Formats: sequence, structure tokens, C-alpha cells
Amino acid sequence: MRYLLRVLAPLLGLALAAAGILLVIEVVAAWLRPTAEAGLTVPWPDWQATMDELTWADFPVAAVAIGVAVVGLLLALVGLLARRSDIVLDSPTPAMAVTTSPRVLARIVGRRVRETDEVASASVTASPRRIVVTARSWAGAGPELRSTVREQVDDLLTELPLHRRPRVSVSVQERKGPR
Amino acid sequence: MSEPAANTVELSKQTSTPAAPEPEPEPPAGVLRRRSRSAVARSGARDRGIAVLIGLLLLVTGTLVALLSFGVFGSMRAGRPVLDPVIVEALGTQSTVSRIVAIAVGILLTLLGLTWAARSLRPERRPDLVLAAGGATEIVVSSAAAADAVATEAGRIPGVGRVRARLVGPERAPALRLTLWITDDADVQDVLRRVDGQVLASARASLGLGALPAAVRIELDTAASASRVA
Repeated sequence: MRYLLRVLAPLLGLALAAAGILLVIEVVAAWLRPTAEAGLTVPWPDWQATMDELTWADFPVAAVAIGVAVVGLLLALVGLLARRSDIVLDSPTPAMAVTTSPRVLARIVGRRVRETDEVASASVTASPRRIVVTARSWAGAGPELRSTVREQVDDLLTELPLHRRPRVSVSVQERKGPR
Repeated sequence: MSEPAANTVELSKQTSTPAAPEPEPEPPAGVLRRRSRSAVARSGARDRGIAVLIGLLLLVTGTLVALLSFGVFGSMRAGRPVLDPVIVEALGTQSTVSRIVAIAVGILLTLLGLTWAARSLRPERRPDLVLAAGGATEIVVSSAAAADAVATEAGRIPGVGRVRARLVGPERAPALRLTLWITDDADVQDVLRRVDGQVLASARASLGLGALPAAVRIELDTAASASRVA
């Protein structure tokens, strides 16, 4: 979303500027040439004739209005969702702000979880608020594996100076087949 | 204890010698915290704010017109022409005023649009550091040189594979943006302590800055991570 906004912002700015320039050109042209029957760059007399015949209840008006509302909703959503999803770490001094990405946190957690002998593989998703660990155990691993993995993740989060500790949820699935 | 001979060479220079740069006083912790946080990334707050504002305006306008069209505000109102003759007549009687207002709105839209586009396209500032050397001398350390020096220093920390550094912010209050690619076995807390104690401290001392707020981004070094299969 951040990249979309980086692309959209200058385009919207240029579109606004273009609309403003066209408005000034047409108003000045209409002022200077009162007898002219066509606009200089925009065929606004035709638009005027069309809009004279349209009433608010006509279908095109409602369709355009709904289209405008949808575009507005999408634009507002892009603006609202284009925030950074950084994970903030505590720094030793106020002169330092330390951040990392959820991807890095997920990789660090995944590496720690896979160090356990009973874990065959693990997938981790992380966000600033929540870490979800899905571990696949070798056949024969005991039910205590889930709490072992949880303890490992908790230890790791204590080692990492995370500013806000995310909630951790761990699930363990048993892998079929021989080790 | 004889007096020095008349031909003794005086080796010490007078006040024209550039003295070591005097560090500026350190700003309060709140200011430092704000400056270091704003160095984390280029701010998208303005773009986001304007996008949300325009989006909400379009949403409200579109919704109201659609409701009007569906007759929510009365069927009489919905049956009126879009270009209402009453309004057209009112504009016609005040033609000079309405034209001037229209031109002013057009100029305003143009200026706002161009300013927005220019600001969002402008590259981020990389401030050079100006060291006050005393007298008429002025020493300028280029942004790239200062950032390279910091990156080299930070690359020596154990557990740090790659480093990217750059100076950001206004020239009067520069800040450092440091991206550290740490190795798998790195101790994050230790790396951060060393960045503060070694890298930033020596950068502040050598550049004569009272404070150099830093935004540190931690990434994992993929190239340096050892294979799991021996």
C-alpha cells in the first residue's frame, strides 16, 4: 500500500493541478470571447446542454455518484492502510530508535523453534501484536512439545528487547511417516 | 634558569589554528527520541493525510448525490435538472464575481496540486555536516563521507554482516539511518549496545556533534547465514 500511495500521490497532485489549469483557461476564454460557441480545450457547452436535460433521478447521475463514492472509499482505504507495520525494539538510549520488520521476527522465531530436536518443520507468521507458530513434529513426539516450543518462543522474546510483547500462539501437528 | 635566546623559534600557533570542534550541548531526551523516530523512514504522513481527505470528500459527495438521486431527500428534489436553472440564473446575474471565484479556485487547485506532486516526488534530503572550525574556516563533511565512515565502523561489530548508513533530516539537526544485516548467531542487545557505545559515540566525537540521533533497522543477513547441512 505504501508503494501504491507513493505512485498515486504525485499522479493525484498532477490531476488536481491539471483540473485547476483547465478551469482557469476555460473561464478566462469564456470571459474574453463572450460570443464563442465552443470551449477552448474542453467542450463544456455540450456538457452544459446534456446536464440541462438530466435530472438528479436519471440513471447516469446515480451511476456516476456511486462510482465516485467507491473511488473515494478506495482512496481513503489506501491512505489509511499505507502505514508501516514496524516492530519496535527497546533501545539502550533515547537517541536511538530501533525497528525491524515482522518478516525478520518471524524468521528469528522460526529458527529458534526448528532447533528443537522433535520439530521437523515450522511455519511462523508474525505481526507487531501476534506471533503464530505452527510446528510439525516427528512421529512419536510427546504432547509436551507444544509447551516446550512455547517456552522457547517466550525465552526468545525476553532476549529480544521487543518494546511491545506480542501474543504467542503455538500449534503442533504430528508429521506422518518415518523420521 | 636563563631567559630564552632571542632566536628561539616559537612553535605554538596563535588563535588562527583550527581548534577541535566543540561539541554542541545535548538536546533533551524527548527531542532526541522524536528526532530518532522521525529518521526511521521517509514520512508518508502528508501523502496519507491528503489521500484520506480527498477520498472522504469523494465518498461523502458520491453518497449524498446517490441518495438524492434515489429520492431519499424527496421526489421533487430528485426530479430537478442537474444544472438547476435557478443556480444558473444566479451565477449569470453575478457573472464577474462568479468568474473571479472560479479563476481563484482554479489557481488554488493548480498550486495545491503542483505543491503536492513536487513534495512527493522530491528525493529525501541528505544533509552535509558543517563543522564550525572557528574563525573564517568552515569544514564541510559530505553526507556520503560521514555515512560511509559510520557504516565502516558499524561493520566491525561482531554479528553484523552488512551495513547501510545514510544521513537524513535537516542540516541543523541531522540524524542517522542505519540498516544492520545481522547474522544468525548475533545477540541483538549486544549489537545495539555496541552501536550506541562505539559507533555513535565515535561519530559524535569526530564530527563534533552534541547529538546524533539514529534510527536502526535490523534485518537478517541471508548471505552470511551458515548452511544447516554440514
